[in-house]
Amino acid sequence: MNLLRGFATTLKYLFEDKVTVQYPEEERPVRERFKGRHALKRYDNGLEKCIGCALCAAACPADAIWVEAAENTDEERYSPGERYAKTYEINMMRCIFCGYCEDACPTEAIVLEHEYRLTFSDRRDSIYTKEMLIDPPPPGVPGTPQQTEPGRYTRSIPEMKDPL
Amino acid sequence: MTETVTFYIDGQAYQVAKGTNLVDAAKMHDIDIPVFCYHPKLKPVGMCRMCLVELGSLSVNRETGEVERDEHGEPVFRWFPRLQTACTQVVTDGLAVRTTTEAVVQGRNSILEFLLTSHPLDCPVCDKGGECPLQNLTMGYGPGESRFLIDDKIRLDKHVPLGELIYLDRERCIQCARCTRFCDEIVGDDVLAFHERGRRLQIVTISDPPFDTKFSGNTTDICPVGALTTADFRFGARPWELQEEATICPHCPVGCNLSAGTRLDRDAGGKKIIKRIMPRQNEWVNEIWICDKGRFGHHHTRAEGRLEQPMLKQNGAWVPIDWPAAYDLVAAKLRQYGDSLGVLAGPSLSNEDLWELRKLAGLVASEPKLGVWPAAMTGGDLVAQVGVGSGTMLRAVGPETAILVIASDFEEEAPIWWLQVKQAADRGAAVVVANARPTKLDRYARAVVRYRYGEAVSVLNGFAAQALKDKSLTGKLSESRVAGLSQLRAALKGVKPAFGDAGRMLLSAENLIIFAGGEGLSVAQHRELMQAAANLLILTGRAGRANSGLVAVWPGANMQGAYDLGYSAEATQALLDTPPRMWIIGAANPVAEDARAARAITGAEFVVATSLFMTPTSEAADLVLPRQSFAEREGTFTNGMRRVQRFYTVQGIIGDSLPDWKIFAAIGERLNGPKARISAGAVMKDITAHVPAYAQASYPRLAQVERQFPLVGGDDLYYGGTAYFNLSGLGLAIPPVAEDGSAQLEVRPVTVDAPASTDADLSLIPVRVLYDRDVLFEPSRLMHHRVPPPSVELNQADAERLGIADGDRVAVEGDGYQITATARVDGRAPAGYALLPVRLSSTPAPTTPAACTVRKIGE
Repeated sequence: MNLLRGFATTLKYLFEDKVTVQYPEEERPVRERFKGRHALKRYDNGLEKCIGCALCAAACPADAIWVEAAENTDEERYSPGERYAKTYEINMMRCIFCGYCEDACPTEAIVLEHEYRLTFSDRRDSIYTKEMLIDPPPPGVPGTPQQTEPGRYTRSIPEMKDPL
Repeated sequence: MTETVTFYIDGQAYQVAKGTNLVDAAKMHDIDIPVFCYHPKLKPVGMCRMCLVELGSLSVNRETGEVERDEHGEPVFRWFPRLQTACTQVVTDGLAVRTTTEAVVQGRNSILEFLLTSHPLDCPVCDKGGECPLQNLTMGYGPGESRFLIDDKIRLDKHVPLGELIYLDRERCIQCARCTRFCDEIVGDDVLAFHERGRRLQIVTISDPPFDTKFSGNTTDICPVGALTTADFRFGARPWELQEEATICPHCPVGCNLSAGTRLDRDAGGKKIIKRIMPRQNEWVNEIWICDKGRFGHHHTRAEGRLEQPMLKQNGAWVPIDWPAAYDLVAAKLRQYGDSLGVLAGPSLSNEDLWELRKLAGLVASEPKLGVWPAAMTGGDLVAQVGVGSGTMLRAVGPETAILVIASDFEEEAPIWWLQVKQAADRGAAVVVANARPTKLDRYARAVVRYRYGEAVSVLNGFAAQALKDKSLTGKLSESRVAGLSQLRAALKGVKPAFGDAGRMLLSAENLIIFAGGEGLSVAQHRELMQAAANLLILTGRAGRANSGLVAVWPGANMQGAYDLGYSAEATQALLDTPPRMWIIGAANPVAEDARAARAITGAEFVVATSLFMTPTSEAADLVLPRQSFAEREGTFTNGMRRVQRFYTVQGIIGDSLPDWKIFAAIGERLNGPKARISAGAVMKDITAHVPAYAQASYPRLAQVERQFPLVGGDDLYYGGTAYFNLSGLGLAIPPVAEDGSAQLEVRPVTVDAPASTDADLSLIPVRVLYDRDVLFEPSRLMHHRVPPPSVELNQADAERLGIADGDRVAVEGDGYQITATARVDGRAPAGYALLPVRLSSTPAPTTPAACTVRKIGE
């Protein structure tokens, strides 16, 4: 009797939707608020949102972020303000994906996206540099550094809408 | 002692010295009255209104004169109806303050809200963010949220260069006037000012070149917001990421205490490097100020071209070798040439280096010749006799002290001493400047004495003769304590008291500090000058007392230490007269600086040099050993006032470089010398055991600190800007011999040699300038704008006679040297002399006065 009940369960699941996903050929979509690998964002004009303020590094409970800043010039501009991140590195082995960096960022430059495939076979590869983290510029827009006309970007932090 | 008064803060009674500023007085008792514009080193102005408090006084019954008391027996106070600024209030007896009432809280709250209406809040990119008084006070006393719209904020220039060193952000400025007041009151360089009024009020620079002062960096420290930032540090790191390490400035004899902000750096290969230099409070030395050379001149510690391994010259080419091979080679050469060894110690070698070098030389020669470089000044032994006494504090001297600055362009040679002497003059100290030419200190001097180059001694002899006439000054001297007194009296009989007014000023004050430079003097003449100064101090009984004594304005950071450890300029001169066959040159660059030294060194058979870079001296050497800069190692410097101060390891080590003491000790081991010590502290222990004057200067003693007033730095950033609390040692001032009342002193009559007349056109006088091309300074590229091109200053008459106009290219020639330079005819040079700033040209020139001819050369 018990045997038959077991077969019945099997039979029932045979006709239901499959739960198993054939990773890595197939990937299950993640939730909207899933916190995966970080991405450094750009504005529509291709300039980087990151201003190198290192507040993400200060907020990081795992001390995973390393930022070194430098100054923009009109000849070589990375971000709209005065300051940009010359070095931006995240040690993915340390990162706990808590999202504090995202919360701390004053320009919404760093976002934890949905990428979760972070494997490496060398400890040194766990350090993700700025080049690996930054989003490509929008299609048809130049990347950074850009040459900009003097006087256009004079604010130390780009103008942002009043959050209220 | 000063009278103390009782005052009340929030009902609690406190005692404090009469005349103390209320903000300071509260601070001494750990009560915070928040301020922006007030600074304990500056006069109060009451501009920011942040320090609003309720003021009152004890209620006194007018009939009985007694303090009125309530039913609990507590004193009753009468309060002013409105809030008052605490910073403009001096504490008086019975003063009462309320700092926590609703009205006060409201007042501060409103002031902060108002300040923030026009503040940009770009804290994430601001260099001050994290150590910003405005941030801190807003968190502590601010309203929490603003009623003003962000869009309505005032928009001003964000990036205004005030000169090439300091940037101004007009939006961030809260108009506290600390920077303008610093320039006016402390420095006397009137180069910053307010322009316009009200909301348009802004800081402008009114000098050309802009912000032309040697102390500009200090304004960024005391700025309570990020309005003034340095070009050097700009965006270098966030303040909380910096690790602060204590160190001592290696550039001049003042020995300013520094705090180096360090951080690991990707570009430096992950090493810890200096990101910025800030002053570290030491009220005995530099207070909370440093000059721009100290602040921005730190790039040599990691500049490109630092030597990373020992280099041996083989058939004219440099070959890297390893340390043991280098040690063996030097040891072998020392065995070979030990009887003819010359030692030159540079000005930035630490006491430990000098000690090990002396020990090494002593292993091969019974009486080693230990020379210093630059060999322009001498008399360190006299400073040890009659130097300033214990408890000397320049910042505290006033009308009871006279200060004589002789043969020195003080601001160029020792900027922070200049600053302190200038302020002493403001407080009423009688400052007398004696020099053959005008210098900037003349402005603040009570009297200026001019003499002809080479005759500086006659000025001091004149003062001494004047002192002898005054029995109240010299009557108490005992023949038994002072050797040579009768000879001196006899010799001075014939000297006419000269410069009467200046002499009276100097002799009528209770204390006398003599700052003696070496401008226009040969080494022998400088010995006479120092002796004459010592004579004057001993004659007048001014030796061996606090705020009184002799200070040499050395051309380097640790030359007093070199003298204390047995080195001298006379030894250098003797070595140059009869060049030895082998040289050991520690951290000096004589080949580039002096033609005669260059000849003596290139002619030797084996030269070993320790160096940071491939300098002309290293090029001339046979073996170059990479030394560590002051930042990579521990050590001690003895400043011009004989304060031994300790510096700590700040930066990661470059290449295989080693500290000099370790190099010399390792070579000594191979010559059957004692085993090398394991640390600089152990070497210092050796010194304390063998050098009586340094007996107390052990590392733990040098690291001792005490609470210093005014309180600045630390957690109280808002109060004094961001100068750092001294947590790593105030150093130890070594008392002069004269301080011991029974010690034997010696005077010796000195005479003036009339300058030998030569058939040459002019006499060349080497003069020192602050911003030069020294090995330790040149790598700081930011400062290159301030380093003048090689120049020679001529008198108007001489220039006309030679057909030279200001700005012409000229050749300056003499016995064994030739330099091309730009002529300057600006009225500073006395007739018959050509002033040549040293260390500006890449070709060697004399370091002591010499004959020269100057001629115009084509374009």
